[in-house]
Amino acid sequence: MAELRGSSGDAPNHILTRWFGTPDLHTLDVYEAKAGGYKALRKALLDMSPAEITGEVKTSGLRGRGGAGFATGTKWGFINRDAPGPKYVVVNADESEPGTSKDRYILENSPHMLVEGILIAAYAVGANQAWVYIRGEYDEPSRMLTEAIEEARAKGYAGPKPMGKDYPLDIRLYRGHGAYICGEETALLESLEGKRAQPRSRPPFPAVKGAWGRPTLLNNVETLATVPWIINNGGAAYAKLGTDKSPGTRLMSVSGNVRKPGVYEVELGQTFRHVIMELAGGVPEGRNLKVFWPGGSSAPVLPASMLDTKTDMESLAAARSMGGSGGVIVMDDTHCIVKAAHRLLQFYAYESCGKCTPCRIGGDWAVRTYERILAGEGSQVELDTLIRVSDGLQNGRCLCGLGDSAGWVIDSTIRHFREEYEDHALRHECNVGKVPAIA
Amino acid sequence: MSALSSHVLEEIKELPAKYPQPRSAVMPALDLAQEELGHLTPEAMSEVAAALELDPGYVEGVATFYSLFHLAPTGKHRFYVCTNLSCALRGADEIVERVRKQIGVGSSDQVSPDGLFSYEEVECLGACEYAPMMRLDHRYYYDLTAEKVDALVAERRSSSPLTPTLSPEGERERRSSSPLTPALSPEGERGKKPRAPRKKKADG
Repeated sequence: MAELRGSSGDAPNHILTRWFGTPDLHTLDVYEAKAGGYKALRKALLDMSPAEITGEVKTSGLRGRGGAGFATGTKWGFINRDAPGPKYVVVNADESEPGTSKDRYILENSPHMLVEGILIAAYAVGANQAWVYIRGEYDEPSRMLTEAIEEARAKGYAGPKPMGKDYPLDIRLYRGHGAYICGEETALLESLEGKRAQPRSRPPFPAVKGAWGRPTLLNNVETLATVPWIINNGGAAYAKLGTDKSPGTRLMSVSGNVRKPGVYEVELGQTFRHVIMELAGGVPEGRNLKVFWPGGSSAPVLPASMLDTKTDMESLAAARSMGGSGGVIVMDDTHCIVKAAHRLLQFYAYESCGKCTPCRIGGDWAVRTYERILAGEGSQVELDTLIRVSDGLQNGRCLCGLGDSAGWVIDSTIRHFREEYEDHALRHECNVGKVPAIA
Repeated sequence: MSALSSHVLEEIKELPAKYPQPRSAVMPALDLAQEELGHLTPEAMSEVAAALELDPGYVEGVATFYSLFHLAPTGKHRFYVCTNLSCALRGADEIVERVRKQIGVGSSDQVSPDGLFSYEEVECLGACEYAPMMRLDHRYYYDLTAEKVDALVAERRSSSPLTPTLSPEGERERRSSSPLTPALSPEGERGKKPRAPRKKKADG
């Protein structure tokens, strides 16, 4: 494995990463002996009822770490445990949001932590089978997770009688094949069923009709990896960390123009100044911070002047952005915002699944408009077009959030950097020194 | 003669029973076909469809949606270079240029004349703290520099036979190392027009 870049070791806010960096933590023996692994599973299966487990998760206030931030315990409670027939847990390990690498960080450092969380969740919601939908490019994480699952089976922690409990639990992997849209939960389910990954219209929600038409709990890797700590320490202990409405810690992958890019565990409510300037070491010598994406490329940008914005979801919403996937992309003042936005629009246009017309057409339209502006052929018409297309992509006009995300890139970059857009579109000049490696 | 060997077709026929519903086998089946042939030919997709008792058009519809399925020949070693924002901000574009120059290929639909190399620019691969980075031969390479690219290409030139790699669901030789014919232009991925190579524009 490559050199670890990010949080590890003992610190008050290290819930997930406390044991990261321990040699061979990815093996069951070390995970169990050193990190107290599988204590939570034993406790959950042998000493707690499913309702008590879900109750602890509700008490913790944990919110989904995939992007939408929905209350995890509430989501677990949506599954009717007593409904007859199979139910599934499906784990979203299709991490593809630009700037986000935190699920990979968990999978490569401590795959058993995820396995343990999955098994607890499956028991709590009345499922016997879990599926991990993992992106196809994650070769090494897939291997490590496969080995961890095999170790757990061999040790009797998964399988027909986990921990001696007469409740079969098993986990299998399903490899994705390169499609950002599969991070959207209903598109992921379509893909798992062997189809083109186009989002479903909801309702019915996955909790009622999910994978193969059965009740399904869908959770992100980091969300489930947090569950063992909550079971060991209690939901109330978790709720003490972070803010009232965004409790706990989360992993933030900080990338781009920083001196120490890495995946950092941050107590929610800390400021982005702390995350970017202290943890990630700030921007390189002689440059200034210009802008950052606080939660993956889909989260509306915040300019340097908003560096003291806090990382909890409410503070971000107040700043007209969102916590998203926890991927913090940092850009310094040697780079051009219009070119960066163009690059991201290329991404959203390419990744549109094509199901909803505004997104299928709007993304390409925006890209072509950016191309004209960047070629020095822009005018007020192009600026107006961008704003119109951005509006057309948003506000519930598409089945899933991909269109909104594309619109937010346009919207938020214009909102905070209108002058730079006008330089390009109206005066046909770029007043930013170095051109980024894009456009 | 069929495009896929009989043992691969047998393996494909065993897949549907492994899932709650047989249709889920379509992508693992296409994986097996692509591993054997290097890319998915129309004949191979038809044979996968027949083995799974699905409509050939359905199988092709799935294959064209996902970027890891290749409908045209690729080099034995394909460089998947991330050029999304986090990598772009740290020099991904120079890495792409270097790869192009070293393998002697001008765009993502071409294969080097010896059949060894091809490349494509891809979206975020989820290893942003190591930017610029890429995927090659089922592993990630980090903190890329021109020198690292040169070395990766040279290593592969000097030792042509591919070392066996593991696929997550079991061990298997990836595919035979027969040289591939130069590429035709690919069918559009996701059933739409092929992705236009990103053009570098003049500064300003």
